[in-house]
Amino acid sequence: MNECERIQESIGPWLDGELNSAECERVRTHVGSCPACLAAQQKIEKIDLALRSDLVAQAAKLEFAPFWRALERRISEPRPWYQEWRDRLVSAPRSAWAVPALIALLLAVWSFDSYFPGWRGGVAARSGFAAVDSIDAHGRSVALWRENETKTTVIWLYEEQEGEHETAEEAPKSGPAF
Amino acid sequence: MKRLKKHLSLALLFSLVSVAAAVRVAAADKDPQSVQVTIGTILVSNQSDEFDAKLKGMEKQLRVLKYRSYRLLKDESQNVPWRGNKSFEIPGGRSLTVAPQEFQNNRIALKVRLTERNKPLLDTTVTVPNKGNFLYLGGPPHEGGTLVLSISAAVQ
Amino acid sequence: MALSDSELVQKCQAGEMTAFQELASRYHQKVYMVILGLLRNREDALEVSQETFFRAFRKIGGFQGGSSFYTWIYRIAVNLAIDAQRRQKRNPLEFRESMDGLLESQDEVARDPFVDVHDRELRENLIKAINDLTPEHKAVIVLRTIEGLSYKDIGEILGCSEGTVMSRLHYARKKLHDKLSAFL
Repeated sequence: MNECERIQESIGPWLDGELNSAECERVRTHVGSCPACLAAQQKIEKIDLALRSDLVAQAAKLEFAPFWRALERRISEPRPWYQEWRDRLVSAPRSAWAVPALIALLLAVWSFDSYFPGWRGGVAARSGFAAVDSIDAHGRSVALWRENETKTTVIWLYEEQEGEHETAEEAPKSGPAF
Repeated sequence: MKRLKKHLSLALLFSLVSVAAAVRVAAADKDPQSVQVTIGTILVSNQSDEFDAKLKGMEKQLRVLKYRSYRLLKDESQNVPWRGNKSFEIPGGRSLTVAPQEFQNNRIALKVRLTERNKPLLDTTVTVPNKGNFLYLGGPPHEGGTLVLSISAAVQ
Repeated sequence: MALSDSELVQKCQAGEMTAFQELASRYHQKVYMVILGLLRNREDALEVSQETFFRAFRKIGGFQGGSSFYTWIYRIAVNLAIDAQRRQKRNPLEFRESMDGLLESQDEVARDPFVDVHDRELRENLIKAINDLTPEHKAVIVLRTIEGLSYKDIGEILGCSEGTVMSRLHYARKKLHDKLSAFL
């Protein structure tokens, strides 16, 4: 791309006041000394002027009083209730949605359990194990173990034998063989 | 004032809808009517090598006990009301009484009592996952083997 | 002392119809001009202008002042005008009617003895050339040329970046330049 092509791409933004001061100066200097680029600038200005003058003339004929009367009549027309509610919902400021949004969030958290059971709670809850909170073996020996791979919880009650202590966890004869 | 009314009417509308839905969800989750408790009575021993096909669903868990033979003697389900209790007959003059206590975090707290000829053998409080893994209670001897009771629960 | 746009908006939101009337009075011609630039038909432009202010009245409760009132109302106007243009393209008969409207306006201009014939030809061909642009390109050229809005404001109205505005303007001007070179 040569210098003129680069400058001609910038003439529009320059005329629109969108270039920074350094770029403005660069374009202004070049246009001042380049007939082709000066012609390009003049064409843009001519198009803008033609478009503007036509539309400004048209718009000047639009009187406000009849415009407002028609608009006011339309605004005052009674509207069906569902349109009123729809407009209220659509035009309500964002802050009006804060309370319902908060309620919806609380509801979602509250009902989360129903869809994702065990998402909170202790390790046992999350892991799906059955948990034993208390045991009373009435003087007998009892063992409790959990097997992680199969998530198995076992309470094993040993047969009452003479002289056996409640808290002993020694391998009993009647117990499982592991 | 008009703006405030608009805020309030919108908030009120959605609050009513949300609260209605919340009550519905809460009712469904927090107040189940009863608990279906299922007790399986399994005879385990080392006298033979057999695995009852009816126990296929819990084979992995039962194999943890490392016996050679597993046979399902009885499988019984009962609906037990909250704070109430129901008894399950266990071979050898025994009885297992189950009383659901609480339902929280999708887990059911149960009070369980094993008796033999009306004498308590074991009292325990357990929590099991709703419709989840079994708890196994084993030890009572029976016919040359040992009884293992599988306990599971599901809210209704 | 005249109230600012944001003060008038607050009064509208509080329910004062006279405040909305004042806003309408300030902007009705500007809005009409932009829509006319896009639709090139006076009846359609008038109808869409009315619809613009009607919708603005309905939605003013939700206007939070994130943008200025005029960019907000121009946004409504341009969106409605673009929708109308798309309907026009689907119904060529309506488009021919719009051309009749144009010619009527051109006759008025022609009666003015001081209007240069060359300028008249430029204007006629300019209108045709603009009508050949896509609605999005037409919108940028009209908003920049008629209203002198900044690229930032145009971007806000059209929902695009300043870079997009710049490139669309460049493209639109190039197209117009190519089609009107004989008259420039």
